[in-house]
Amino acid sequence: MNAKANSRSRKLVLRETVSSYLFLLPFLLFFVLFVIYPMFMCVFTSFFDSTMGREDIFIGFENYKTLFADKVFWIALKNTMVIVLVSVPITCAFSLWVASVISKMHVVATSAFRCIFYLPVVTGSVAVTMVWKWMYNNYYGIFNYLGTNMGLIDKNINWLGDPKYALGCIILILLTTSVGQPIVLYVSALDNVDKSLVEAAAVDGATSFQAFWKVKWPQMMPTTLYILVITMINSFQCFALIQLLTQGGPSNSTMTIMFYIYYNAFKLFKYGYGNAMGVILAIIIAILSAIQFKVAEEK
Amino acid sequence: MKKLLALLLVGAMSLSMVACGGAKEEAPAATDTPAATEEAVVEETADAAAATEITLWTYPIGNWGDQATLDALLADFEASTGIKVKVDFLTYADGDDKVNAALEAGTAPDLIMEGPERLVANWGAKGKMVDISDLIDDTDKAELNPAALAACYDASGACYEYPLVMTAHCMAINKTVFEAAGAMQYVDEATHTWTTEDFLAAMEAVNAHTGAQVGAVYCVGQGGDQGTRALVNNLYGGTFTDAEHTKYTWDDPKNVQALEKLYEMESVAFDAGIAGGDEIALFYNGTLNVAFCWNIAQQLNPNSANTGAAKTATGDDIMFMAFPSENGTDTKLQGGIWGFGVFDNGDAAKVDAAKTFIKYMCDSEKTVDAVKAANYFAVRSAAEGTDLSTIWADNEIMAEYNVLMPYLGDYYQVTTGWAEARTQWWNMLQQVGAGNDVATVVAEYCGNANAAAGN
Repeated sequence: MNAKANSRSRKLVLRETVSSYLFLLPFLLFFVLFVIYPMFMCVFTSFFDSTMGREDIFIGFENYKTLFADKVFWIALKNTMVIVLVSVPITCAFSLWVASVISKMHVVATSAFRCIFYLPVVTGSVAVTMVWKWMYNNYYGIFNYLGTNMGLIDKNINWLGDPKYALGCIILILLTTSVGQPIVLYVSALDNVDKSLVEAAAVDGATSFQAFWKVKWPQMMPTTLYILVITMINSFQCFALIQLLTQGGPSNSTMTIMFYIYYNAFKLFKYGYGNAMGVILAIIIAILSAIQFKVAEEK
Repeated sequence: MKKLLALLLVGAMSLSMVACGGAKEEAPAATDTPAATEEAVVEETADAAAATEITLWTYPIGNWGDQATLDALLADFEASTGIKVKVDFLTYADGDDKVNAALEAGTAPDLIMEGPERLVANWGAKGKMVDISDLIDDTDKAELNPAALAACYDASGACYEYPLVMTAHCMAINKTVFEAAGAMQYVDEATHTWTTEDFLAAMEAVNAHTGAQVGAVYCVGQGGDQGTRALVNNLYGGTFTDAEHTKYTWDDPKNVQALEKLYEMESVAFDAGIAGGDEIALFYNGTLNVAFCWNIAQQLNPNSANTGAAKTATGDDIMFMAFPSENGTDTKLQGGIWGFGVFDNGDAAKVDAAKTFIKYMCDSEKTVDAVKAANYFAVRSAAEGTDLSTIWADNEIMAEYNVLMPYLGDYYQVTTGWAEARTQWWNMLQQVGAGNDVATVVAEYCGNANAAAGN
């Protein structure tokens, strides 16, 4: 009787396991085809002189050697790091602050603010970029109009055409389009914080900052980690803004690794060289993500 | 284990997002077996029977970017030949990427309409185009503009483009403002030319009158860069490449002199925030009073405020001008040449159908319609007995614009390493605009362009 029951149980488990994998299969196929295979090809092609219209030529680490001697690559790497180091902390801190403020409001107000901050995320990036381009315009942009009329600047500033300002302008746009999702996630994380622990801390005499830092913040750590990783990857892969506004200029002051990869791969058709840069970018992102995981684990 | 998996996923996401390249072509078999040849013949016959539909991708060349205009032209073609043409419209913003992706995927169109810098110097040089020199006989050679025809051939003598239309790129001035500033005295209105000395005097006069910047050396990207090249090259007689199109020569001291002069002019600013299209918009709305990115298409354009052709949005008169040169009459204008090329998709029947299309549009009694659809000038004097030299006689602006056509200069965009050279050019302008030493940056960036060309 027992053996019969065990056999039925094993069959049931097997059937459930098989059906689980069958449910997973479409996604796994998609994942292998569009993530794993391109990833493998990226690494593989980086060892070749690969271009359009002819067979690839194996060149070993030559692309990597060229890359490390490429002045523009280092400028692009520096600019990319500046974007990441400025935009990631600001995005996280600003999102957390906004979320903590709006989560205390009436549910209608919270929803309204969530929608407002999320709007730039769902608006087409080209449309958003064109509006910013108009605002930054050297000749009739609103920033120059307000700046000169309010006496903040003596003459019009070529925001996107001056190496001193161009990268800052890009970062500002990136920030406005990046905060929507983290705010929504933080509002939801704050809602899920165990209220009884916060109340207990208050009863024990904790200040609101202490309650936040010692009680809420640890509970929001998984959300923070997710936001950090996603924001960092988005910042590393900042491309559309550069393509539409500055094309890496002026004087390479907004050149990022993603744009330089695009330029080499799809304008100069140096696929192997572009992929070598992609591998380096992925290694950097992986290292930074590992650091973030480690720090979050310690917290 | 979970952490490792998470890191792997992060790496996978990053790498898969940046992976570039595409499927490579299979290397051709060393020899064809008789059986394979036989199969190929059977396949070819089947294809020939089925080749009643071909695909055309066209950039926005006048109304060749307009569905309604093309529908009429293609309906005529289908009625005459039985060949149906499916059209896809490309833009200059992403057209090249789309074509390159299609070439990599093996889904390129049968026909494409653009200029020699793409058809000959880019896709032709990469072995993607069919040599169509068999379409051009001695009569065609006599009728076609020799400079335009020469640009359609590569160094080996293969022809990758059958030219249909051409124009000369030029610049434009706001005539109303120039008159108010007393600057029209420096302009030869009859020939639409001026000397470098007169140009400098006119710009100074307009600057003094308006108290504002008059023109912009735009350099955010490559859009409209033919204008900045022509301005710099003509000012003191410099060149961009050598006559054989093997070397970039813009480090010529005459170009350095021109760039230094432009940089020190009060009336002109190097603007790394705008491209040619932005400059045109600023000229139309009256912010700038000269435009270095201009041709007949802009002159005919009624502009966004719909104030009429050859007018700014505020109704000022626009006058097209040749670029200034030392004696005013030795200016060399950059040519725009557009025509058709055939992609080598390995289907002989479709290649034949594409050639039929080209002959129909470029060398038949229907060529008049094809040329008029492009809103440019015919590249040949006659087609199958039809005189094409006077087809714009009824259009005052087009007829007047003809005065610039004798100034058509060398079509140097077919020089090796062109894509890289263009990038070096506008990056160099940004460096000049940032106040760096002109001779040094010109030497550096021209050197980069030559390195890309294998020199």
